Amino acid sequence: MSNRLSGPERRETILSAAQGLFASKGFHGVSIDEIARAVNVSPAILYRHFASKQMLYAAVLEKFAGQRQSYVDTIVNHGTRFEDALAGMTQVYIENIAKNPDILRIELHSLLEGNPATLAFFQNRWKSFTDYIEFGLNEFLPYDVPHREKTILSAGLMFQGMVREALIQKCLQPQDRLIDLSLHELSNELVALFLRSIGINKTHLSRKATITG
Amino acid sequence: MSDFDSELDASGLNCPLPILRAKKAIAALDAGQTLRIIATDPGSVKDFEAFCKQTGNELKSSGEEDGKFVFMIQKAA
Repeated sequence: MSNRLSGPERRETILSAAQGLFASKGFHGVSIDEIARAVNVSPAILYRHFASKQMLYAAVLEKFAGQRQSYVDTIVNHGTRFEDALAGMTQVYIENIAKNPDILRIELHSLLEGNPATLAFFQNRWKSFTDYIEFGLNEFLPYDVPHREKTILSAGLMFQGMVREALIQKCLQPQDRLIDLSLHELSNELVALFLRSIGINKTHLSRKATITG
Repeated sequence: MSDFDSELDASGLNCPLPILRAKKAIAALDAGQTLRIIATDPGSVKDFEAFCKQTGNELKSSGEEDGKFVFMIQKAA
C-alpha cells in the first residue's frame, strides 16, 4: 500500500527534496526526473504541482523569502545606534543561515550559474546590509575622508564578504582551527573589526553613530 | 487639507532602513499625528504590520499605489 499524501503534503515533500538537491548540485545539476525519484513519484505527478523545473526552483526561493527573519525586532528593541542595529541584524541573518545552510549553498551555486533573477534574489538579501551601511556612513563619515564615496561603497562590500565567508567556514566546511570560535563569536568579532575599520570604536564613538531620519 | 502630518519616502530601500527611518520620523511627531510612508520593498508590508504591533502605533492603512507600497501610521497617544 502506498502512503497517500494530501496535495499540500505532497507539494511540501517535493519542495523539500528539491531544496536539498538544488543545494548540493545547483539548478543545472538536477533534473526533474531526479527530484521525482527522490520523492517516489512519477514526473507526471510532480508536474501537477510544479509546471517546470524553473517554477519549482522559484518556489524553493520563495520559501526562503518567507522564512527570512524580519529585522523589525532589532530596530524596535536595539535602539537606533548604527553599530547596535548592525550587530543585531547580523545575528538575525547568521541564525537564519545556520538553521538552513541550504540557502547559502544555493546562493553559491547561483553565483556561478548566473541566472539574473536568482542573482537578484540573493543580492537583495545582502542589500539590507549594504544599504544600511551606505546610508549610515553617508550620515556620519566626515566629509574630508579621502575617496569618501568609494570608501562607502567598498565598506558595504567588505561587510558582505566578511559575513558570507564566516558563514561558509562555519556552516559549510567546519574547520578544526576555528572550532573554539562559535559562529556568534566569530560574527561579533568580525562586526567589531568592521566597525573599527570604518572609525567606530564601540566605546567612544557610539553616540555619534546614529542614523537620523 | 492633507490627511497626514509628515511624509517619508523610503523608495528603493530595503528592510530595515524604511522601519528605522519611520521610527525616527514618528519620534518627531506629536501623539495622534499621522505619518505617510512610501516604500518599494515588498517585505515592508509585513514589516510595518509587525512594527505597529510592537510599538503600539496604529497602522491606519496599508495599500499599493502606482506599484509602490503606501502606509499611514498614526502615532500612539
